[in-house]
Amino acid sequence: MATLHDGAPLRGKLFIVEGIDGSGKSTQLDLLHKWLVSRGYLVAFTEWNSSPVVKQTTKKGKDKRLLSSTSFSLIHAADLADRIEHQILPALRAGAIVLADRYIYTAFARDVARGVDREWVRKIYHFAVRPTVAFYFRVPLDESLQRILVGRPELKYYEAGLDVGLAEDAYESFRLFQGRILDEYEHIVDEFGLTVIDATGPLVQQQARVRKLIQAHLRGAQKVEHRPWREVLAKEGLHGRYLDAMTAPAGEDGR
Amino acid sequence: MTRVLSYGHPLPGLREKKLPGKLIVVEGTDGVGRSTQIALLREWLEANGYASVETGFTRSELAASGLKKAKRGHTMGDLTMNLFYATDFVDRLEKQIIPALRAGFVVLTDRYLYSLIARAQVRGVDPQWIRDVLGFALIPDVVFYLKIDLERLIPRVVNSRGFDYWESGMDFLKGDDIYENYARYQTALLNQFEAMAQEYHFHVVDANRSVPEVFADLRDAIQTIVDDMQGHAASGDMKPKKKKKNKAKARVDGTEEVI
Repeated sequence: MATLHDGAPLRGKLFIVEGIDGSGKSTQLDLLHKWLVSRGYLVAFTEWNSSPVVKQTTKKGKDKRLLSSTSFSLIHAADLADRIEHQILPALRAGAIVLADRYIYTAFARDVARGVDREWVRKIYHFAVRPTVAFYFRVPLDESLQRILVGRPELKYYEAGLDVGLAEDAYESFRLFQGRILDEYEHIVDEFGLTVIDATGPLVQQQARVRKLIQAHLRGAQKVEHRPWREVLAKEGLHGRYLDAMTAPAGEDGR
Repeated sequence: MTRVLSYGHPLPGLREKKLPGKLIVVEGTDGVGRSTQIALLREWLEANGYASVETGFTRSELAASGLKKAKRGHTMGDLTMNLFYATDFVDRLEKQIIPALRAGFVVLTDRYLYSLIARAQVRGVDPQWIRDVLGFALIPDVVFYLKIDLERLIPRVVNSRGFDYWESGMDFLKGDDIYENYARYQTALLNQFEAMAQEYHFHVVDANRSVPEVFADLRDAIQTIVDDMQGHAASGDMKPKKKKKNKAKARVDGTEEVI
């Protein structure tokens, strides 16, 4: 089960994925999401840096390069705080399975790579719900870089870690910055007991392992009837023409 | 500031041990007259040759507009609000306050971390957590706490802006009687400030008195703090002129912040 920061149990389950850019964690979480929905579970999805109240400020800070290592850290903490208060906690109270693409360990790795104090950043996230299972997708730096940089994408200022001043060239800076983040993650894996998935293996095998590992935690999770009108359609010989239009935007269940 | 010290973990990248400017904090609850006093003090300092700047909540380039928008919608939870304010605070500290101190300015700040702590504690936020989050704050040269009784405060607030949603604790107190909630909320806040006075060595100023009386106290206390800046200040008449017209300059940004 997921627990509040003070150890109080919550009905729902919180599964989170972590890893450096290009580790394939989002792909795996998406596959898990679809599987859980198909099994009839009530699932909510949340991702890093997506609070409707906070994200415009973060975007402004990034676009205009206003963020220092400390303000970068605090604004991301505000973002998670809002999502915990308004999305994650209510869903967990309702017994849902919450899937989070990146969680507090992203801040612990990335913000420390930017120069903030290790202990301080752990303290500011003290409010965070403790996840049921935290997966870490481990991949060697060269492989993740190859996945990300193959098309020579344009790297953004903070994404490349150019604010840290490791190198002038964006690609070189990205390489060094991701290396630092990877080092931090390796400490975090032991410190918080993250569940390591070998992200170099075939995607199917990774997914099979993830599903096997969460299986044990699914008991008691809230189920929900998906498309409860199906029976009516079948019985009355209807096509659900207007239902299609109505449900199209919500087709991803909880996104 | 003579020495650069933080309450907790210092800001990464702040290397100096000393800064030539002075950091002066004016604290106190909503409506106590902080901005009036700051406007007067700023002009008095400048008239006496001390370069000064002022700053206050929700005036950061980074977070001001987002924070105001979020408050307007009344959509923020306690943790989010605290962290959003912390973001605004650190942005001003790094971009406004520290550069000004480095350049030898007297920085007048309208509220500081103490208001954030008081506000968080009244809402039941973990006292240690909020202190940890804001631990990067520099220890000021002086913290003036403008202390006022609730009975004196209420007429002033009614006479100026009226009761503000957040300043009345409407986000967490039960019931919709704003007067009742304002009184309860402000009483709780005043108690928090009272408790912090020792912890943070507040210089307590009785704000039940008139504007000129309060100003005189602040001016005299600041004089002793800026006295040792003579070497840094511009040349010219450095003797304080106590008989000056108390006419405040209009605030440049024209904003007024209430939390």
